[in-house]
Amino acid sequence: MKEKTTRSRRTFLRGLGASVALPFLESIPMADAAVAPKPPRRVAFIYIPNGVQVPEWTPKRDGANYALSPILEPLKPYQRDFLVLTGLTHDKARANGDGGGDHARSCATYLTGVQPVKTGGADIRLGRSVDQVAADVIGRGNRLRSLELGCDNGNKPGPCDSGYSCAYTRNISWRSETTPMPKEINPRVVFERMFGSGYAHEDRAVQARRRNERRSILDYVLGQAHSLQGRVGIKDRQKLDEYFTAIREVERRLEVTETQSAFLHDGDITAPAAGLPESYRDHIRLLSDMMVLAFQSDVTRVSTFMYASAGSNRNYRFIGVPEGHHELSHHAGDLKKQAKIAKINRFHIEQFAYLLGRLQSIREGDGTLLDNCMIVYGSGISDGNKHNHEDLPILLAGRGGGTIDSGRHVRYPNETPLSNLYLSLLDRVGVSVESHGDSTGRLDGLNLRVPRV
Amino acid sequence: MKVTPSRIRFLLCLSFFFHGALGLALWADDLWANPILPFLQEHCTECHGLEKPKAGLNLAAYGPDSPIRRERKQWKKVLRMLRRGKMPPKKAPQPPEVDRQKVERAIDEALAALNCDGVRDPGHVTLRRLNRTEYNNVVADLFGIDFKPARDFPSDDTGYGFDNIGDVLSLSPVLFDKYLAAAEGIADEVIGGTPAKGPSDLLTCLPKSEADWLPCARQILEPVARRAFRRPLRDGDMDELLRLVESVHADGASFERGIRLALQAILVSPNFLFHVVEIPVLGQADAIQPLSGFELAERISFFLWSRLPDDELAALAKAGKLADNEILEQQVRRMLKDDRASALADNFAAQWLQLRRLETITPDPVYYPAFDEDLRRDSRRETELFFSAVASDDLSVLTLLDADFSFINERLARHYGIPGIEGAHFRRVSFEDGRRGGILGHASILTLTSNPTRTSPVKRGKWILGQVLGMPPKPPPPNAGDLSEETEEVQAASLRERLEKHRADPVCASCHRIMDPIGFALENYDGVGAWRTRDGKFPINAAGTLPDGTFFDGPVDLKKVLLERKRDFVWCLSEKLLTYALGRGIEYFDDCALEDIVKAVEADDYRFSRLVIEVVRSVPFRMKRSQESSP
Repeated sequence: MKEKTTRSRRTFLRGLGASVALPFLESIPMADAAVAPKPPRRVAFIYIPNGVQVPEWTPKRDGANYALSPILEPLKPYQRDFLVLTGLTHDKARANGDGGGDHARSCATYLTGVQPVKTGGADIRLGRSVDQVAADVIGRGNRLRSLELGCDNGNKPGPCDSGYSCAYTRNISWRSETTPMPKEINPRVVFERMFGSGYAHEDRAVQARRRNERRSILDYVLGQAHSLQGRVGIKDRQKLDEYFTAIREVERRLEVTETQSAFLHDGDITAPAAGLPESYRDHIRLLSDMMVLAFQSDVTRVSTFMYASAGSNRNYRFIGVPEGHHELSHHAGDLKKQAKIAKINRFHIEQFAYLLGRLQSIREGDGTLLDNCMIVYGSGISDGNKHNHEDLPILLAGRGGGTIDSGRHVRYPNETPLSNLYLSLLDRVGVSVESHGDSTGRLDGLNLRVPRV
Repeated sequence: MKVTPSRIRFLLCLSFFFHGALGLALWADDLWANPILPFLQEHCTECHGLEKPKAGLNLAAYGPDSPIRRERKQWKKVLRMLRRGKMPPKKAPQPPEVDRQKVERAIDEALAALNCDGVRDPGHVTLRRLNRTEYNNVVADLFGIDFKPARDFPSDDTGYGFDNIGDVLSLSPVLFDKYLAAAEGIADEVIGGTPAKGPSDLLTCLPKSEADWLPCARQILEPVARRAFRRPLRDGDMDELLRLVESVHADGASFERGIRLALQAILVSPNFLFHVVEIPVLGQADAIQPLSGFELAERISFFLWSRLPDDELAALAKAGKLADNEILEQQVRRMLKDDRASALADNFAAQWLQLRRLETITPDPVYYPAFDEDLRRDSRRETELFFSAVASDDLSVLTLLDADFSFINERLARHYGIPGIEGAHFRRVSFEDGRRGGILGHASILTLTSNPTRTSPVKRGKWILGQVLGMPPKPPPPNAGDLSEETEEVQAASLRERLEKHRADPVCASCHRIMDPIGFALENYDGVGAWRTRDGKFPINAAGTLPDGTFFDGPVDLKKVLLERKRDFVWCLSEKLLTYALGRGIEYFDDCALEDIVKAVEADDYRFSRLVIEVVRSVPFRMKRSQESSP
């Protein structure tokens, strides 16, 4: 499907194609193919709210050469590049005695596999999300440890869902049990985080001086924070821990930048226009472009992207669905409402197809960028009307650097934890942990042969 | 408080609140183990159990610890039902009178475990950082520049309905990056700005010789750091800043460069970014102490103005005068009259009344062609101005519900069908017909409680229960359907008929029979708040009856009904205001403070200033405790 793109986006893409110097790009002069660096593996996690219209989502047949379902139809050109994983469950998104709040729980649990502590604010506690666990290891050497993207920024007043804080409904990425990673919604700001804002043309010496100044600032505030630590309470010290973590992150990046600064300055990359795109479609696509660019240039190897926040009531008037998404999802069997939900689901899948297309269009090593990615797409709720958390709609795109045999529909026994998938993905990026969230083991069936991990 | 049967039903519709409890008194647990728990198991849990609990009240889910203190509100109601013989219901087997009395006494005692006469627990506000609004304001206060550097910061998470809650405001690496970038931008602006704006005012001194560098830097930086940290400087603070300037000197860069670096350091210091309240040293007998004068001044000015204390308040803090109740009251009154108190409308009222949601509301242009960006903006402005007038003119807080005036401009007048108002500026207008005046007649509230294509009496009822009466209904069960919006069904029956059908399910009915009638009273306002007498082909019927038989018809009647429950309203408003003032959720022990506040407001003709003064004078606002201790 040909999409109308905004002028700003097109201009941006043209600028990009023309000029970025990219570490793993095929066209980069590699004097000796034998010593060319092996492309790294990247992971990304995409979140959609309110579940899906399950009968329209799940393909009827399993295995290879299955027929795509109506919602997944837009992925036709990439059918060989992703897996449909059916039957996975997030038990920790269920009430388990905590009462209402499935939307908040399903979002909090999505990448953590942990039941969030029910609170409107005090004692927020969840678990580390899989992307952050991965970033600990594979994000160390990159300019950005990880990249969090999303389209929704607006704060809903009040508890966001039945007594759960908005921290649970707006974030899927959690750096620690208590600290969510806020997402960036503005493509331009993402770009500036990746490449700096306007410093690219500065003299090396000027840049070095800037780095030294930053270091002395950090030294100063570290001293202040340490002295403050002794004068505040236990819970306050947890907040200060966030502060220390942030400082360490900046310090790490200062070092990475020194060693890795080459391509950041050589490229004459055109930044996307300031401000937010007017259309939701363009917004998703431009942020997807940023993810692609970040992976392509190895600015980061880990990313998350929330197409919308949990329980989003966004309207989709532009595709003929003027009602709010969440309102619609409580369809109580109304067929016309169900059709509209499927329409929204399909719209999101079209945007996912766009991302896959972009990743596939980039040559890397002897394959494509997509081949070296593992991108999970899905929701923590299965059916938005039932609010159930078994049989979740989950896709896994990319071949994980040859460790995944994509192009199939794999059906798992009921109640197989989604966290098992995450454990298997962590294996594939070289992060060796015994468990993640409520995992009970590795997830079989991602590859037909023994993977070359 | 007079308790009517309908009130009890209201109360049963409450959602449960879970409070983080401090160590409960052991004897409360004893009372719980015997006689309360056995009594519940014998007489209550058959209906109020795990499976479809009646009125949503599940009494079978508790462990061995007494939940009574932390779910104080709910257990007060349980006690009331027992005492009035409402429960167990007449049809059910009745407990022996002796048992009933024993249990009533036990619940009463367990409740009284919260002793308002003894040492009061002020609670603890988790170290909270500046939110975006505060950051922008503080930078403007410090440097007289107004370029809103926090514009690009990630939006602040909210808790308990507000975006200034310490527990929820996290400091991520991304945000820290933005702090660094903002500090650079601000320092550039301040040092290298244009002479017209006078940023070089900051450079009160320029060194003429080497020896001048440090004294000169001290002269410039000391007042900035003091204001930025909102407290007197410690020795180390200044020395380390000067060391930064020195390091620049050693590198051969300019004096301005040194000042610039020091400013950046101030702006990312935790003493700048956090509202610091120092904790009393552990193990001391007086683990509960008043805030220091500076801490109190900071808390007051961020509460009322969302910004730094001004010179007068800071001077009183320095002189230790804020401990004096009279001076404290004078200061609050002075600050409420100040223009900067509009922050209460922009930040407190806009979140309490959920006005910020207007930004994302999208009425369908097919159904509401009149709605445009002007209306979106102006309707919010009306409510903010109205709230500000109540605050600055020190009116009764009940005015918020029932007033005969508002602030409108031409655009809103057109929307409300009021002739003779011209121009974009807002002016005070009086009404006689009862359609407008009071927040329930504001287009802002009426729009944000509607669906894109129609009004939602359910949402309006829910909003009134939650934001006005402080009794948010429980969320709907997962399978609850929404109304069909298909043309044929919308054509076939009025919204009221369709909702009545929907309500047939008894699970839904327990809350909807309260929410829906309240919402229907506002049916004369369409989905964007314009007055109407018909909804499509159906005439508007704005009458409703609450389960206790209270009948009302239209907004004027509804206001009367709400004013009969004014204590609920004042309690709700006090709870929200205290939450916002403290930056933390309300704990069960705050009920002591809330009771004092509500009574004082009632005794002072419901004056707005009394409400604010009592919040400021309350134990949780003025006191602090070491986190590890509790009384």
